Amino acid sequence: MTADALDPVIHAPARLRIVATLAALADGDSLSFTRLQNMLELTPGNLITHLRKLEDAGYLIAETTGNGRASRTSIALTRQGRAALASYADALRALLGSA
Amino acid sequence: MQGTRDDDTATTDEYGDELDPREAARLLAQTERNARRQFDLSPQWINGLMGAVILAAYGSLWLSTRGQHPYKGPSLGVVALVYVAVAVAFAASVKVYRRATAGVSGPAARQRQVEGVAILVSFVLGSPVLQGALRHYGAGDAIVYGVIPAAAPLIIVGTTALGIAASKADRPLFGAALAVVIAGVVAAFVGPSGAWLAAGIGLFIAVVGYAAAGTRLDRPVPRRA
Repeated sequence: MTADALDPVIHAPARLRIVATLAALADGDSLSFTRLQNMLELTPGNLITHLRKLEDAGYLIAETTGNGRASRTSIALTRQGRAALASYADALRALLGSA
Repeated sequence: MQGTRDDDTATTDEYGDELDPREAARLLAQTERNARRQFDLSPQWINGLMGAVILAAYGSLWLSTRGQHPYKGPSLGVVALVYVAVAVAFAASVKVYRRATAGVSGPAARQRQVEGVAILVSFVLGSPVLQGALRHYGAGDAIVYGVIPAAAPLIIVGTTALGIAASKADRPLFGAALAVVIAGVVAAFVGPSGAWLAAGIGLFIAVVGYAAAGTRLDRPVPRRA
């Protein structure tokens, strides 16, 4: 098995950390953009870029409520995203086990 | 710092080609550990604090009432110490809860809030109502101010927690709640002074056991269900 078997959407430092952090929440729960940004110590622009890639892949869903300054964006991992992380972890284990 | 590194890799490392699998495994394990710690509602330090508060409070109550014939209850100084200890533990728990749940929303978060209210209501109402009723019907001090306040909260709150744990198939919580209920039952039959000792030992075992189970289940990498 080679590193090509690893999901390229997740196999990037920032996105791996985003997915792993959201996976620590209970199924169906979401995290505010601000808390996620603070936990990962990423800039807003950087975080948005990576969230968009993950959202395009169907791994997470972002919902914004309210308007203007009162708006709040919540991010949650989808079932597809949770399954993708589990597959990624399995692939990593297999890769490292065969190394 | 990882945050700085991610800034640098945001555009150049679009598909993560440069991330070594070994480094990825380390990063995954570290992130999971950090996230679990940040979302944890019962971190080790709060379990340690609870254990210390239980030993101090119930130990003081037992020492204060040991050998009383007839039973007169703990001294005012000990009662004040217990209230202070409980207040400190409650304030620390609230702080941990707020920190862990900041920015978290959804069905599981709402369920946790409802469970918290159920535990609080059973704790606040359970024992005082029984004490009031027993006093009303002429029960003695040994029952009203000894056995009931030591045993009843454990049985009532423990049973509530048992139901919550069963509904979530949470084995560590179920085990801890069961230990609390058993301690309450034992406390109900060992006399007014011994009740404080039995309750304290049972609660301490429950807290330590729950903390140990949480540590044992702390896995580094997620596995398929």
